[in-house]
Amino acid sequence: MPTSASPHVGPSRLHQPPPAPSTSGDSESTVPQPPTEKELDIGILKELAKSALVESLNDIQGAKTLILEPALGGPLGLVTEVALLKHQAVDKMFWLEPGPLNVNTRNVVWLCRPKIEYMRTIADQIKAQQSNPSPAGPLMHTILLVPRATELCRRVLEDQGVAGDVTISEFKLELIPVEDDLLSLEMDDVARDIYLNGDDTPIYYSSLALMTFQRAFGLFPRILGKGEGAKKLADLLQRHHHTDPAQYGDIESSTQVDGLIILDRSIDWITPMLTQLTYEGMLDEFVGIKNAHIEIDSTLIDPNTAPTPSPSTSALPSTPITKKRKHHLSSQKDKLYSELRDQNFAVVGSKLSKLARRLEGDYGGVKNLKSVSQMKEFVGKLGGLQSEQQSLRIHTGLTELLMPITKLETFNRTLEAQQNLVAGYDPNSQLNTIEDLMNQELDWQTILRSIVLMSLTNGGIKPKLLESFKRDFLQVYGYEHLPLLISLENLGLLVKSGSSVSTIQNQSVNFLRKNLRLIVDDINDLNPNDISYVYSGYGPISLRLVQCLTMKNQILSSSTSTTNGEDANGLGAGKEKPKAHPLNGWKGFEDVLSVLPGDNVDVRQHGEKRDNGLGKYIRMIPDDNKITTTVVFFLGGCTYTEISALRWMSKQYKGRRFLIATTGIINGNNLIESLGDNPPVQLKPST
Amino acid sequence: MSITSPTATWDTIQDVFYRKEEIYTMSWNVPDLSEYIISVGKNGGPIAMIRDDRLPLPSSRHSGKPKIHIYTSSGILISSIPWELNTPALMHFTITSLVVLSDQGIYRIYDLSNITNYKQYSLGDEIRDSGVVDARAYEDGMVVLTREGEFVEVKGWKGGRGVPMISSAPNEPPTSWTLLSPDISPTGHIQLLLSTQSTILTLDTLEKIDQRINRGPFSHISISPNGRFLALLNPTNGKLWVVSSDFSRNLSEVDVTPFGDGLPERVEWCGDNAITLGYRNGKVVLVGPKGESLFWEYPPSAYILGEIDGLRIISSGTCEFVQKVPDCTLAVFSPGSSHPAAILYDALDHFERKSPKADESIRSIRPDLANAVDTCVEAAGREIEVTWQRRLLKAAQFGRAFMDLYNPSDFVTMAQTLKVLNAVRYYEIGVPITYEQFIATSPATLILHLVSRNLHLLALRISQHLGLRPDPVLSHWASAKIIRSSQKGVDPSDRGLGDDESVCRAIVEKFEKEGEKGVSYAEIARKAWENGRARLATMAKLLDHEPRAAEQVPLLLQMKEEKIALEKAVDSGDTDLVYQVLLHLRSTLSPGDFFHILDDSITPKLKPAVNLLQVYARQADRDLLRDFYYQDDRRTENGCLEMEEAGQQEYAEERLEHLKRAAKSFGESKERLFESKMADDAHRLLTLQQTYERELEHKFSFSGLSVNQFIYKLILEGFNKRAERVRADWKVPDKRFWWIKLKALAERKDWEGLEAFAKSKKSPIGYEPFVTHLLSLTPPQPTHAASFVSRCEPRQRADLYVLCGDWGKAAESAKERNDRGKLDELKRKAPNGIAQREVDEVIRRVGK
Repeated sequence: MPTSASPHVGPSRLHQPPPAPSTSGDSESTVPQPPTEKELDIGILKELAKSALVESLNDIQGAKTLILEPALGGPLGLVTEVALLKHQAVDKMFWLEPGPLNVNTRNVVWLCRPKIEYMRTIADQIKAQQSNPSPAGPLMHTILLVPRATELCRRVLEDQGVAGDVTISEFKLELIPVEDDLLSLEMDDVARDIYLNGDDTPIYYSSLALMTFQRAFGLFPRILGKGEGAKKLADLLQRHHHTDPAQYGDIESSTQVDGLIILDRSIDWITPMLTQLTYEGMLDEFVGIKNAHIEIDSTLIDPNTAPTPSPSTSALPSTPITKKRKHHLSSQKDKLYSELRDQNFAVVGSKLSKLARRLEGDYGGVKNLKSVSQMKEFVGKLGGLQSEQQSLRIHTGLTELLMPITKLETFNRTLEAQQNLVAGYDPNSQLNTIEDLMNQELDWQTILRSIVLMSLTNGGIKPKLLESFKRDFLQVYGYEHLPLLISLENLGLLVKSGSSVSTIQNQSVNFLRKNLRLIVDDINDLNPNDISYVYSGYGPISLRLVQCLTMKNQILSSSTSTTNGEDANGLGAGKEKPKAHPLNGWKGFEDVLSVLPGDNVDVRQHGEKRDNGLGKYIRMIPDDNKITTTVVFFLGGCTYTEISALRWMSKQYKGRRFLIATTGIINGNNLIESLGDNPPVQLKPST
Repeated sequence: MSITSPTATWDTIQDVFYRKEEIYTMSWNVPDLSEYIISVGKNGGPIAMIRDDRLPLPSSRHSGKPKIHIYTSSGILISSIPWELNTPALMHFTITSLVVLSDQGIYRIYDLSNITNYKQYSLGDEIRDSGVVDARAYEDGMVVLTREGEFVEVKGWKGGRGVPMISSAPNEPPTSWTLLSPDISPTGHIQLLLSTQSTILTLDTLEKIDQRINRGPFSHISISPNGRFLALLNPTNGKLWVVSSDFSRNLSEVDVTPFGDGLPERVEWCGDNAITLGYRNGKVVLVGPKGESLFWEYPPSAYILGEIDGLRIISSGTCEFVQKVPDCTLAVFSPGSSHPAAILYDALDHFERKSPKADESIRSIRPDLANAVDTCVEAAGREIEVTWQRRLLKAAQFGRAFMDLYNPSDFVTMAQTLKVLNAVRYYEIGVPITYEQFIATSPATLILHLVSRNLHLLALRISQHLGLRPDPVLSHWASAKIIRSSQKGVDPSDRGLGDDESVCRAIVEKFEKEGEKGVSYAEIARKAWENGRARLATMAKLLDHEPRAAEQVPLLLQMKEEKIALEKAVDSGDTDLVYQVLLHLRSTLSPGDFFHILDDSITPKLKPAVNLLQVYARQADRDLLRDFYYQDDRRTENGCLEMEEAGQQEYAEERLEHLKRAAKSFGESKERLFESKMADDAHRLLTLQQTYERELEHKFSFSGLSVNQFIYKLILEGFNKRAERVRADWKVPDKRFWWIKLKALAERKDWEGLEAFAKSKKSPIGYEPFVTHLLSLTPPQPTHAASFVSRCEPRQRADLYVLCGDWGKAAESAKERNDRGKLDELKRKAPNGIAQREVDEVIRRVGK
């Protein structure tokens, strides 16, 4: 019997006295329990959002029909169970889409982001409704705008002539706790808005959300950052603090958070262009994760729903239609996932099979049960086992989905080209590879990511070559991508060599390669000794900057593995982790900053001093067990790999934990797609 | 006034102590209140009165136009408002204003601080025609009963539309009704209770519930301050019925006929404990649950008002307050109390008389000392008389001295609060607010009220004393200052520069002195603007001191300072504010002026606004966008716009048109010749696709395909010649063409064609793709794939054969290259059965 696979449930265990009532905890004991240090509880933000929604809805008297922007369904689901809205007298729910309404409640409530197109749809619906009044009497119309009501929307409604018939209100849905170390505004296409269109609305919303965060947890004692957008955001934060004393005047300096680091996506376009190689990153790249949910075959979640082809009823050879179901990827609900998500995909398979063997052992254990009390104990464990089994099934299924992709020749050639490009190795032959892949009509997103990567790492592309690439690209994938190519050029992502932009980029990359250790050769996938494990050898620029501020030695030490390679994965039991140093300024890294675009941010904020001055001194008394949280805010979105890398960083030192906050979670594909237009419509045959 | 004992004002109803204390002797000269319609603000608020013109008056007292007089609770006149409309149906004090509703549905909101400045709203023509019978109000709104018997709710005092409550048919007029404000109604929204001939109805905007109460009809319905009890008076049998507000519990029923002549005029709650009846002749009766009563006479008349913790009685001579004696006060002062607090209070007395009994007393309550101290502190808060406040606090302090650990914050807070309460209760201020009321309504509310009475200095000192932000006080003060200084000068031009500047300087200096950053300068600037002081408003000092752009921008727009407004909006980082300005400018300026303001070559700072204009116009106003691109020479953007629109056209002709325009637009920029060419190519491609479709009698659809897809489809459908033409026209490189053709032929399962194609010349992509592609099809084609392996590089062949499943040939090719290692590998990897035997066979031959 393979019971010995796990020392925790071996036969010897059964001879011990039965444990305390909570037997189900037993199966989870293999997960290393993190030391119970007091950490920032960001759940309160969820409660805030939830109660704000409940309040907004309760303000509207009577039964309501709720019409929800489809893109808000996901984020909303992360703060409240949509079913619970029934308690707020929500009678029916529909998606917001053009077309007439079918309402039989007194109230109609639209919940959407303040976008012009939605206002027009709503105006049409109100007008249609008014020309055809319902028998129940006049309807009350309310629009709840997320995260705030805007004058723009009011104006659009006015222009449509319905402003008087509708109450505009707001629902402050800001930073949503996706995981206990991850906050997201869950906004789409932020990078496009800010960097391409010059529309700083997301920066403004981010500033409001971070103000709310500070209301909850105290003023960031220090704000650090890099990039034009980061500067704007930092300025706004101070501006709010200074100019709105009624709201923010009495915030005290935070004792739990030592600072905010704002990373502007525009300082690091390279990272999202690379293919993510962590489990979660791969899932996002190749299956797609939306609002922490993934669409998978329902059979993976519950094998009993498997469509059983029943030959008796249908004569046709039945092609089983597998239904897709949304599955919430959550570390709270799924311990296995929390172990796997941040791993390099290369080691996921072996982890899964290890667990499979252990589960087999646990189930196998049933044969060895001798006494009733042993039986009881085992049965108590079953619940845990079953949920583990289910998550094992799901992740095995997902891994089986990803595995063939990693075996594809095109995948591996893309990866090789990417890694050679960031390493600066023989760019011309990488261009050939990209063209080869294009000839094979690999998806256009991947091709563009690769060519952008080439342009970014190589100081642009020779004009002739670039032009011929573009010509080929448009021929292969369609001329509708022409504006996209121009957009990439405007952003400096796809430029001719020799231009001023490209020259600067070239110097910058060469400098960073040398001084920020972008390329790391000896990485250990299983027990990573550096953040570069998330890209199998490339350490994201964004996080190297965070390391400059928080893990100085990791950057400065030229050798990679010596510092703390052995116990680096956080599992190294018993061994004391080094203590985190206080949050640095940029001092010592001025040269690094100087090669990156945009302003440097380094501001100290001082909160309301209401106490007698003692507080300041109390705070200075070092407390060895105190954990401080550093918030890293990604303006323009971050990738799952960056999240994983920060989690890894959280585990390296005693006393500092990173809280990741972002405008949204992106990957190279959706980033590139957002920069282009909508795909063309189907042509109709002309008459 | 000297009072010998704190209990001198006490009286009992059925062992429950009530006390009535005189707060003010009225300063006014109003002989008979019954000649007036009166309204009194809650929580020690002011008194509004207007002569009731429905009463016959002795002509000698007729004094011209009717006026509404506003007095403090101590009877000092604050202001008088001329009232030329019909008799008010409602007068109501909010914290900072007085609302007066005429019976024609017109209501005015008077700002108490500046009574000449009022806002007037109408409830609409329908209500004007039908008329208002009655109305009830709360802090944030009112409900009006029209002559038609309809109830209309008005929310907020901003002139919003009246919303009819659910149709109250049958149109039986209620005999009486009351309003439950949102804070006490069970639904959290306003609710009405109305008594009709047959029953009691609960009414709100959604539903009407018949409570099935047949004890009526009632002439008075009064709800207790906490919303839990109702007092209902039945005029026919004179029974006062007290019941829980959901009608589930009867509390008492008292016959009130013996209490006075006829029926009482007002039925008010005294706190949540007792009911008070006010009679026309000035008799006030406090009724206990079993019919016991206390009564007082105020001939000729008195007005009573229920407060949350008691009752105010206003008569021509005095203002008095009646309340149930609070528990803490009872503990200290009630005769024979053995409460530790009473003993402590006593001990202080002994101590001062140097009696040893003091020590004895303290000893006896030692374990309860904290409780005693707390109770004394609390009781101090409930006293109106300063003497007793002092005495109680002193007792508390005395007790504290005997304790090792005591948190003094309650004591300090109470002392601070009392200082504030005593200050506002001073008769010149005349706000007789109690401690309970102060706590319930918050200090900020009190300050707001004081400011609305223009008591700025007091309000400021109280703010500072309580550690509150002084900015609401300061900004109100500044506005008031501007208004006052504006009233003086008749001709604005006479005022001269000096005046504007001195006012501005005074304001800024004052703010800086008080160290306040949060004051809204914009609000003040607006006041200046509204009072015709445009120069003062725009004075750099005033508006530039405003840090909040959202506050300045609308004002700047109003003042036609468009460009500054736009700059400020951009500075603020609030994009919505920028939109606000842009849309305002767009609707007020000519297109030329509009674009001129936005010309960012003149004002680079405005770039963000220009960006936002494009974002907006792209979604909402394409013509505007095109005009903008045109006048700003933005050819590239315009080209992109045309490309995007081309993609959204459903008909080829239109798409072609847009493509043509795109090519033209790009072509107008030297930098975009390549893009122009590409747009042109796109145009050419679609044209050719259309042509082919026509030639092939529309049996096939090509339009919208990319060059690659087009060629692929042509080959797939067997139109090789046309495919070749496209290839030639678009100079498709060999490698790419080979891939397309390979895939298309494979898809056609045209194995002969594929073979011929492979042979046609040396493949520029090699032959490996032939093998791998055929294997990647569904279903895979290993046999056909294998036929191309011999053309591949020799060192790849073995592996490729393996992929095709032909282990024998794999071994053969390894053998041909004398690759012993490969052979061993094959032997290891080959599956059992034929494959294994084939490999063995080859190895055997090699071995020979």
